[in-house]
Amino acid sequence: MNKTTTVGIAVACGLAALIGTSKRADRRAPAQTHVDTARTFNHSSALLALSVLSDSAMEHYRGSFDNPAMYTPIVVSALSLLAGLHGGRDHEPQRHPCRNSVYVGAALAGLAGTGFHVYNITKRPGQWSWHNLFYAAPIGAPMALLLSGALGAVAERLRDEPQHEPRLFGMPAGRALALLTSAGLVGTLGEVALLHFRGAFQNPAMYAPIVIPPVAAALLVNTAIAAPRSRWFTRLWLRMTAALGVVGVGFHARGIARNHGGWRNWSQNLFNGPPLPAPPSFSALALAGLAAQRLRETER
Amino acid sequence: MNLPRYPEYNVLDKRDTPSWDDVTRAVIGERLATPREPRFFDAVQWNAVRALCACIVPQRKGSHLDREPVPVPALLDAKLAKGSGDGYRDARLPPMRDAWRIGLAALDAESRARHELPFARIDDDAQKTLLIDMQQGELRHGAWQGMSSELFFKERVLHDICGAYYSHPHAWSEIGFGGPANPRGYVRMYFDRRDPWEAAQAEPGKEEQAREENRRVR
Amino acid sequence: MSDDPQQVPRGKHGRAPDVFHKGAWLPMRQYDQNEAVDFVIVGTGAGGGTLACRLAEKGFKVVAFDAGAWWRPLEEFASDETHQSKLFWTDERICDGENPLKLGNNNSGKAVGGSTVHFAMVSLRFRPEWFKSKSVLGYGADWPLDWRDMWRYYGEVEQALKIAGPLTYPWGPKRPRYPYRPHELNAAALVLARGCEALGIDWTETPLATVSAPRGAAHPCVYRGFCVSGCATNAKQSALVTWIPRAVRAGAEIRDLAMVGRIVMGDDGRATGVEYFREGRWRFQRARHVVVAGYAIETPRLLLLSATDRYPEGLANSSGLVGKNLMVQTNQAVWGTMDEEIRWYKGPPSLALTEHWNYEDKGKDFFGGYCYMSQGPLPVAWSATQNGRGLWGQALLDEMQKYNHQAGLKIVGETMPQERNRVTLADEKDQYGLRVARVTYSLCDNDKRLVAHSLSFMSHALEAAGGRDVWRETDDTCHLNGTARMGDDRTTSVVNADCRSWDIDNLWICDGSVFPTVGGVNPSLTIQAIALRTADRIEALAARGEL
Repeated sequence: MNKTTTVGIAVACGLAALIGTSKRADRRAPAQTHVDTARTFNHSSALLALSVLSDSAMEHYRGSFDNPAMYTPIVVSALSLLAGLHGGRDHEPQRHPCRNSVYVGAALAGLAGTGFHVYNITKRPGQWSWHNLFYAAPIGAPMALLLSGALGAVAERLRDEPQHEPRLFGMPAGRALALLTSAGLVGTLGEVALLHFRGAFQNPAMYAPIVIPPVAAALLVNTAIAAPRSRWFTRLWLRMTAALGVVGVGFHARGIARNHGGWRNWSQNLFNGPPLPAPPSFSALALAGLAAQRLRETER
Repeated sequence: MNLPRYPEYNVLDKRDTPSWDDVTRAVIGERLATPREPRFFDAVQWNAVRALCACIVPQRKGSHLDREPVPVPALLDAKLAKGSGDGYRDARLPPMRDAWRIGLAALDAESRARHELPFARIDDDAQKTLLIDMQQGELRHGAWQGMSSELFFKERVLHDICGAYYSHPHAWSEIGFGGPANPRGYVRMYFDRRDPWEAAQAEPGKEEQAREENRRVR
Repeated sequence: MSDDPQQVPRGKHGRAPDVFHKGAWLPMRQYDQNEAVDFVIVGTGAGGGTLACRLAEKGFKVVAFDAGAWWRPLEEFASDETHQSKLFWTDERICDGENPLKLGNNNSGKAVGGSTVHFAMVSLRFRPEWFKSKSVLGYGADWPLDWRDMWRYYGEVEQALKIAGPLTYPWGPKRPRYPYRPHELNAAALVLARGCEALGIDWTETPLATVSAPRGAAHPCVYRGFCVSGCATNAKQSALVTWIPRAVRAGAEIRDLAMVGRIVMGDDGRATGVEYFREGRWRFQRARHVVVAGYAIETPRLLLLSATDRYPEGLANSSGLVGKNLMVQTNQAVWGTMDEEIRWYKGPPSLALTEHWNYEDKGKDFFGGYCYMSQGPLPVAWSATQNGRGLWGQALLDEMQKYNHQAGLKIVGETMPQERNRVTLADEKDQYGLRVARVTYSLCDNDKRLVAHSLSFMSHALEAAGGRDVWRETDDTCHLNGTARMGDDRTTSVVNADCRSWDIDNLWICDGSVFPTVGGVNPSLTIQAIALRTADRIEALAARGEL
């Protein structure tokens, strides 16, 4: 596959994602209910959970499940995924206790995971070295599980709020959600930057996920803090960020195919090559950001 | 330590996996098909060589289940028949083929001098004693033609015989070496980590588990 | 097989093998033998391959010769140590002296790309003071080169080869960031790290000439561990996959399976070209300049073989130093058994190292320095190490059975230049009818004290890292240098700082032979840096009409 073809495919994927996200918006009724926002957050949480499920399963398999605790994120993210799918179809304007527990559990597991990963890094020769950040347990990965739990738990909380002027954490819900998703985007950035740096940015496209999301995060902060109004540029940028998650999977698949032995050598290249399940976390956060933005636009 | 064992691990099981490529299959196939009858050694030398190889790399029958023993004498003969050198020669030694001819003749001569029998016909202990003497440079029969027995032992006997043994896939399987690896190399690099296509070491008391894993290696 | 690269040359009919695509070819310029090209280069390794590339890129007409085959790594490099000995120089050489050398897989390749086809990819810079060993450190000889000049060229080589190295380097003056990130350390390398941390010295990931991320058509390393038997993935940045394809694209011609047997001299005492044996007969290529880059045995051998009435002691030998001052590097090691599984066959052999004793001058009773690195020998190499220990019979088999639990630390140690260590011509002749080289080598007391220090230190380190039954490998060497040293005085050197011989102004030497001292690091990066510098100097001289 030559360079032109692959770039073409990437662009096509991106456009498809852009169109996909915009079509959804057009179909919706002008007034966005807070339950719709919650449902979108349930979906985003599910997508993040799916990413964590695949990624942690692969990476912990690679780690030979040395420590029994390594089964935890697989179980927890699977539950979070189910909760997210369930919540996505749930129009009830009230917190679901079971889903809520799953989400809180996921967030706690994410925090615990970070602790375990820090331990893994510091117990190796070199401790906090670039080498260990590159090759020991990825410091930023459990964050995605934390985010899945956080987005889901917030969605449950939001359902309990009144239809009119819902509030979260002492501020209008739209503002709170925009700030939360902004933080999520920044959090996800660290691991991508580290791993693309490890790859020496050998393909210029590798700069995209560290350039586009921070701008999205900044735009979301702006959406949160400034007066609510329709922001087309923020919407466009968030859609681009969502597309990034899809295009990223395409590039990662190409990366695996290009490695020595290609797909036939899957038992090595799926693990040594770029991680397939990682990029969709950007899509998940961007979709949540778009929902937050829609809610914010209804606020005063 | 208890010596590690890798029951039922066989690198040849991976011949049709991404761990082996075409050129490797061809090369190892050729090695496995090495003719068992000598082309370089004559009948007398062949007897001595076989006994010598059995001393240097003793292969207990049935020690590794149904794997045949490594045909070390045949591999050695093939190397000498081909005649390609190592790219250097200690000045005190004649070229490879001459060194082997002289050395084997000298070994038999030494054996006859001590036991009135050629090397292949004396018992194990007598053979070992002769070889220890050779290694320490204590053999000085005229048949050596001035060649140092110590150097011959180190640079030819050990170098060529052990090189032959460890060039064979059965020897790799025995020590748990990963074997050929192209295009598939390795993923897990850390301590105590094994890729599913590597040899599983048998933990004491858990032999069956290792056997199971090694049967599944591919 | 009619396409056997060891029987039938591939660099002909106007095309060269494209090593990145199976069965593919690149167009290659061909020069007429009777037309004098600008440069003939003998040898296409770290020195010759690099120089051929840069001279061609600067517009010179270049024909480079190699006695070896033009391999296609992707298709022809088997995962088998024994078969891959096809990469080594296996023509006869005779070794004597107090410490006769073992040649072949540690120091002599025979292939287009030279020894870089089988090298372990360790790419280290000289300590700056070594360029003035005599005046600053009190031993050996001074180089006629400034370390700051070399620092710049080191950076260029590192960029050209996309060296995968650590983000900060613990020793020496500041250097630019290595272009690619370091590789993941295997367990053997982590043992070295543990040992260094226990003893309180720095260690680092080894800068390696194998890519840790994709590079053009080259795949990243798959950690198959057969590096010193030839890289079948093209991750290893040998001259074969870097300088040579660039040279061909820039208009150089590479003639493989071409053994140069003589540099022919004209009546004016200058070189007129080279005689070479290819496809069954002797041929002659005319040239304006001849560069010898056959590494430290073949280079002096060729200069000596080319003796004429005018130059009875061999070419460029008015100093009498051609072939003398042969330096190897000591390669002793300590080995031990670990409780954990190490499985050192995964990944490049030397993923971690310490240069502590290259930069620390206190606490030494010897001149010079050494680095040491982790190891990962494959079965045949490992059994040879056991043989060196004298093990055979059941004792050998039992020891080999511990294969997956071994770890080791091996030095690259500096040796002193000694004139008695030399390459001369023996009376025996090789398959081309040329007298073979006799390589005479003996360690001096300084060398032995360095080795003793290293073995003692490394034993402590390995034990501190948890190694048990630690034993010492006391007899091994690597690399070859020094037999046509550079200097700024024609009575004490063979070539000047530009690698131009003092005696014959169109005869140059550009390989490891020119090192006045050998330092305590692997030589390949320095050889390539010298070649880059030489190319720049040739361009400058040409512009001034001094060529």
